[in-house]
Amino acid sequence: MAMTEKQRILAAARRQPVDKLPVGARIDVWYNYHAGHDTLPEKYKGWSIPDILRDQGAGIQLRHGTIWRTEYRDTEVAIHEDPPFTTTEYRTPKGTVRMKTMFTPQEGPWVPYEVELPFKSVDDYPAIEHLLENTVLVPYLDEYLRKVEMVGEDGLVLVTVSYSPMQEIMRTIMGYERFFFELNDHPSKVEHLYELMKEVVRQKLNILAESPVEIPEVCGNWSDDIHTPVFRKYFVPWFQEAVEFLHSKGKLAHAHIDGEMKRLIPMFLETEIDVAEAWSPAPMTSVTTAELRKAWGDKVTIWGGVPAMLFEPQYSDEEFDDYVKNLLREIAPGYNFILGMGDNLAFDGKIERVGRMAELADKYGRLPIKI
Amino acid sequence: MFNYSALVQAVIEGNHIKSVELVNEALKDGASPQNIVGSGLQAGMRIVGDKFSAGDFFVPEMLLAARAVSRAMEVLQPHISAADMPTLGRVVIGTVFGDIHDTGKNIVTMFLRGAGFEVFDLGINIPTDSFVGAVKEYNPDILGMSALITTTMHTMSDVIKALEAAELRSKVKVIVGGAPVTQHFAAHIGADGYGADGGSAIKLCRNLVGK
Repeated sequence: MAMTEKQRILAAARRQPVDKLPVGARIDVWYNYHAGHDTLPEKYKGWSIPDILRDQGAGIQLRHGTIWRTEYRDTEVAIHEDPPFTTTEYRTPKGTVRMKTMFTPQEGPWVPYEVELPFKSVDDYPAIEHLLENTVLVPYLDEYLRKVEMVGEDGLVLVTVSYSPMQEIMRTIMGYERFFFELNDHPSKVEHLYELMKEVVRQKLNILAESPVEIPEVCGNWSDDIHTPVFRKYFVPWFQEAVEFLHSKGKLAHAHIDGEMKRLIPMFLETEIDVAEAWSPAPMTSVTTAELRKAWGDKVTIWGGVPAMLFEPQYSDEEFDDYVKNLLREIAPGYNFILGMGDNLAFDGKIERVGRMAELADKYGRLPIKI
Repeated sequence: MFNYSALVQAVIEGNHIKSVELVNEALKDGASPQNIVGSGLQAGMRIVGDKFSAGDFFVPEMLLAARAVSRAMEVLQPHISAADMPTLGRVVIGTVFGDIHDTGKNIVTMFLRGAGFEVFDLGINIPTDSFVGAVKEYNPDILGMSALITTTMHTMSDVIKALEAAELRSKVKVIVGGAPVTQHFAAHIGADGYGADGGSAIKLCRNLVGK
């Protein structure tokens, strides 16, 4: 009996044999944008993402944010809505910090964008330390389980840990510029936050370990020009701890590698992360899939490989087909690979090309690939 | 005569305390603000930019160096009129309409200021008309546009067309950048240049102003 797409994806992630190249396509940016603007193709109006991907003949990658709710002890949380802005004030006994997000349907993913982060100056350390020390995560799986049911055996629902501890500080507490100034000016204070944040992320890992999530995301959104100087010291040891823990609970781990990876590629191998998802090769970044396969061998399963821009109208169908066929040649014999886009179908991407990608995988993707 | 090598070194090391100290020392020694900027701050930043391009430096080193220059410039400002401030050129920069991402733009802005450009940062979500208005108002050598998402990158083309309609296109070089933007896209919309990162943005701007 043929494997289901979910079985193929999980087997490839575990570096086990599969009968054909798995496909896990992600289209939420495209879908959310067009659903929000009522511009979905007539045929797909009222459809769900999994149903559209099924119609295209493609395996499904459905994203889900988190499987917990965040609560804070000994802290008053005041939320002020002023669309499109939401301001959240955290009033702690050690001081008040504030963050502001902006939510706009212009953004395909519909993710609130942080326009003001909580850390503004050295005076904010005590309040943020208090917040981290008093963060309590409460499991909440209903929405995730609903998505799992929607996808069934036709793909996989991916869940994020959000970020690794230092990435969380860089991205959601301080912002890159302020983070690097603080790390230079007050390294011990930043490292103290790092230790506190580790405890918060450990809570997330514990919830994931007890959940049905198969391959949690442990971090992502790196760019080698920003992350290389801090990756070995603050990222690699954390990943080793997190991945060892997840493995001990029968889980795998994946990272979302949608940025420039060139100088991070050698260090990634030290992380023990099983799956590198959202792989976005040249021309979107400077590294080809052949180069990545050469560097990683069969130690990491790669998910992605077709850059988002190839789905856009400025590339012809022939150029798209040539790219995918060449990719299949680069990854032959094709084990430890899940075909998908790096990292999403853009709003102006052609949905039909998701079907073409799946067709090409059907036609040439019987393993071992010979093309 | 003031020895600029220590100031150059302070910039390379991203030591803003040292750069401020040395600029004060240089002023006390009678060095001209123009020389302090040219032979000290910009010279240091040029080396930092070259190291970044060569892959020896990363964004953190560039940010720290840019801060060292920026703090030193604050000390120099009372000693020099705006008209006499040595500058490599004037840049107007912003994130295009519909796009609220600013990390890349902010980094490029810091790098360019550190390198010696005068930068007017318009911010995020900038309508086409506002870009055109800023070009009229500030008369920049270069207009830089940033976009992080494919939904908004096409707006860059609208701005270029609006500059043409306002008969301003020949007066300003247009450069573009951001995650989904490529050299191919830049050429396609008629931009004068594309920078993949902050380091290449500095080089690109220097080339465009011939410095």
